[in-house]
Amino acid sequence: MLRTVGRGAEGTLRHAGGMALLLGRIASALATGRVPLRALVDQIYAMGVQSLPIVLVTASLAGVVTSQQGGYQFTGSVPLYVLGSVVVSSIVLELGPVLTAVVLIGRVGARITAELGTMQVSEQIDALYALGRDPVRVLAAPRVLAGVIVVPILVAIADAMGIFAGMFAASATLGLGSDNFLYGARMYWHSWDLFYSLAKGVAFGFVIPLIAVHMGLSARGGAEGVGRATTSAVVFMIMAVLFLDALFPPLLLN
Amino acid sequence: MIEFLNVHKRFDVPVLAGVDLAIERGETVAVVGHSGTGKSVLLKTTLGLIKPDVGAVRIDGESVFAAGRRGLERIRRRIGYVFQNAALFDSMSVWENVVQGLPEDELKRLGRREATQRVAGALEHVNLDPKAILSKLPAELSGGMRKRVGLARAIVSRPEVLLYDEPVTGLDPVNATVVHRLIARLAEELGITSLIVTHGIEGVLPIVDRVAMLDRGGIRFDDTPGAFRRSLDPLVRAFLDRDVPTETLQIAEAV
Repeated sequence: MLRTVGRGAEGTLRHAGGMALLLGRIASALATGRVPLRALVDQIYAMGVQSLPIVLVTASLAGVVTSQQGGYQFTGSVPLYVLGSVVVSSIVLELGPVLTAVVLIGRVGARITAELGTMQVSEQIDALYALGRDPVRVLAAPRVLAGVIVVPILVAIADAMGIFAGMFAASATLGLGSDNFLYGARMYWHSWDLFYSLAKGVAFGFVIPLIAVHMGLSARGGAEGVGRATTSAVVFMIMAVLFLDALFPPLLLN
Repeated sequence: MIEFLNVHKRFDVPVLAGVDLAIERGETVAVVGHSGTGKSVLLKTTLGLIKPDVGAVRIDGESVFAAGRRGLERIRRRIGYVFQNAALFDSMSVWENVVQGLPEDELKRLGRREATQRVAGALEHVNLDPKAILSKLPAELSGGMRKRVGLARAIVSRPEVLLYDEPVTGLDPVNATVVHRLIARLAEELGITSLIVTHGIEGVLPIVDRVAMLDRGGIRFDDTPGAFRRSLDPLVRAFLDRDVPTETLQIAEAV
């Protein structure tokens, strides 16, 4: 058992060290301004524009469910307009950023790991080195930078969509008009909450592609190795997002 | 000149255990050996893609692993590498793949029009019609064409050295002979130093100046193709068990 724990700890430390090194090289590429612009634009399009429909659907459903379940709990005890505040706070503080991150882990993170893993096992990464192109500069840096740019924007859109869907659901099923919903939302609104939401977006947008790239570049052993790397990457990304999510309240809400 | 000096490399088991080999400028050398004898590992040390545990690799006297980042970039610019499965970038067209072979500063200096001319020239060198394939993706090409595009990518920067990692693996005998002839022609026309790693000796003997055989981590044989053919070493004999049929050579001639 000790051996298993030791092996697990060794693996985690190895990945942590690998990611720290990768981060250093990405920072160096960004600092010297050598990130290819076209690759960055391609990644922004793939992560942002192409993820938008599923982010909108997820945020809408989260807004509708929060609104309806909140309404069910409030019936007869709390003024219904408070639901506006509950929906807005739930979406902005938690559901908007976290659900967007989870969607991006599945849609973007897994794709990046599989793509770079395939490039690794088919010697395309070696080919880049042989051709004098640094894979970190041409592959890793654009993906991480695109994540940091795109995810906060997606989170902002998800927040707006979730609130709108929650307001619509409250009106359609609970009879809470939009004026009353917005009145309740304004009562407990803090501008800081929006910053908090977007800061989560930046953190998730950084950590998802970083883990995905690292796991992809670490893939070994053909198609099976790529599959293993992708599965591990998804697990690591989810754990990292939830861990960061847990760190946010004590760091930014006190 | 490429020199491997007492190169050792171990993964789970020792792969290279004291390899000493020197390839003179303009020479074409084949390194043969069974699968798993470390031929590709040896080749990758030349570009600094794999670092030996012990020993040194030198290109014209400059140590690959003591050269630093800039030095390694300079060394890599002088070397073209043809990968076993071509290692073309899946998401890029043939043009984009081959143009990656040009160093970035040279690419900027040349501009798109001249770069396209260089790409077309490299493709013609390997008997491919640029107009027909420039915009195609690697997935749309046959195995033989992919190998030749990989070769075009390796020569587009006009390297002094070409490294071939199993250049004909997976090809039918006709395409294999075509590729072997291309290697010989490139070495002759461009005066390139060539190091060919292969586990099959057929077709290689007529185009190389020397054959080195890797076995159990070291060089077991290093001499001319004629001496290789005459050798009584049982392992060498095992590699000479068959020859390329004349009919294959004739069909390849037509291709």
